[in-house]
Formats: sequence, C-alpha cells, structure tokens
Amino acid sequence: MKPPEDLEDLDPGQARERTGLAWTRTAIGFAAVGGAILKTSIAAGLAVLALSLVIWGLSRTFRKSAGVGASPRRLLLVALTVVAVSLVALTVALLHRSS
Amino acid sequence: MAAADRPGDPGADGTPADETEPDARFTFANERTFLAWQRTALAFVVAGLAIVQLLPPFPGVPWGRHAIGVPLIALGAVIAASGYRQWARSQRAMRRSEPLPTSVLPQVLAVTITGMAIVAAVVLLLSAILGH
Repeated sequence: MKPPEDLEDLDPGQARERTGLAWTRTAIGFAAVGGAILKTSIAAGLAVLALSLVIWGLSRTFRKSAGVGASPRRLLLVALTVVAVSLVALTVALLHRSS
Repeated sequence: MAAADRPGDPGADGTPADETEPDARFTFANERTFLAWQRTALAFVVAGLAIVQLLPPFPGVPWGRHAIGVPLIALGAVIAASGYRQWARSQRAMRRSEPLPTSVLPQVLAVTITGMAIVAAVVLLLSAILGH
C-alpha cells in the first residue's frame, strides 16, 4: 500500500519512461545528421531535419499511449528512414568534389 | 548457436507454438535496444559525412577522405536494417518463450571498425609518403 509500489505497478522499472527518452535521443540523432547534411545540400539537410521532427512526434504519441511498445510497422518505418538517410548521405558524400 | 537444447518446460510442451505477450519490461527493453542500434547507425552516417565534407584533403591522396567516409556511411545503412531484423527476431523469441537469438551485429561492428582503422592508417601513411 506504499506509494512506491503503486509507481512500480504503473511503470515497472521506469521502462516506459526510459523508452520514451530513447525515442527522444534518436530524434536528436536525426537532427544531428540533418545539420551535417545542411553543409553540402540545403534541401536534403532540411528534409532530414523534418524527419527528426517526425521521430520527435512519434516519441510524443508514444508517451501518451497506454499500449506496451511500438508496433512493428512503426519500428520498420524508423529503420527504413535511417536507411534512406544513409543513402542520401552516401549520395551527398559521393557528389562531394575531392579537390 | 542453434537452439538445439531447449528448456524442457512441461507445461508449454503440449501446446504447439502458442505465443504470449512477454513482460512489458522486456518489450520496452527490446525496443530501446532497437533504438540504440538506430542511433549507432546515425552516428556512423554523421561521422562518414563529417570525414568527407569537413576534413581538409590528404596531401597526395585525393581519394583518402572518400575511402574512409563512404564505407562508414554504408555501414550505417547495414546496421539500421539488421537492427530491425534483430528486434523482430528477439520479440518473436520472447513471445514463444524461446532463448534469445544471437546477433551478428557486434561482430560486424568490431570487424568494420578494425578495417576502417587499417584503411585510415594506410591513407595517412600514403599521404606522408606521397604528399611532398
């Protein structure tokens, strides 16, 4: 009947909170890549920065939902987005003149 | 390696491949591991980009920056894709109360970082020799 036990029931091991923070860190990672791409290609950089906003939004909906874990489709979307960003970065790197 | 010896659970033995949702903490932990691999992939991409774009060119080795940076970016894509595959495999194993699958990701990571260190050393040596 102690309050700490109630908190453990609500969010065991603070797993939900820690996972929400992990989503936030991932969004910040996207923003870092976007900032790096901005140096060469403004358009591609802005696109990746917009993607970081999408991930940020995902983390917001995640914190509000009562369900356990994100759906496989959402995680697949995140993974595919990272692959797409890698390909954009690859293009940017290969187009960079090796002067 | 192969799941040859399973824990002989007498209760779960009779029911074929019944899947139950694992403890919420395990599902969350698996998701955090997935996100950590995605961040690792993003870090590789940003490191590769920085090497190609921000480093001054190596004297005598004009392709040096690309030789180091481009493989790092490609590895980022590989890590992102296999991170999802690993998440799906772990989640399935937990639902079936099977042992967690082993991951090749740490091995791939270690081998590639070693390889990139060698490439970087070769580029630096060539630059020192050819740079004059």
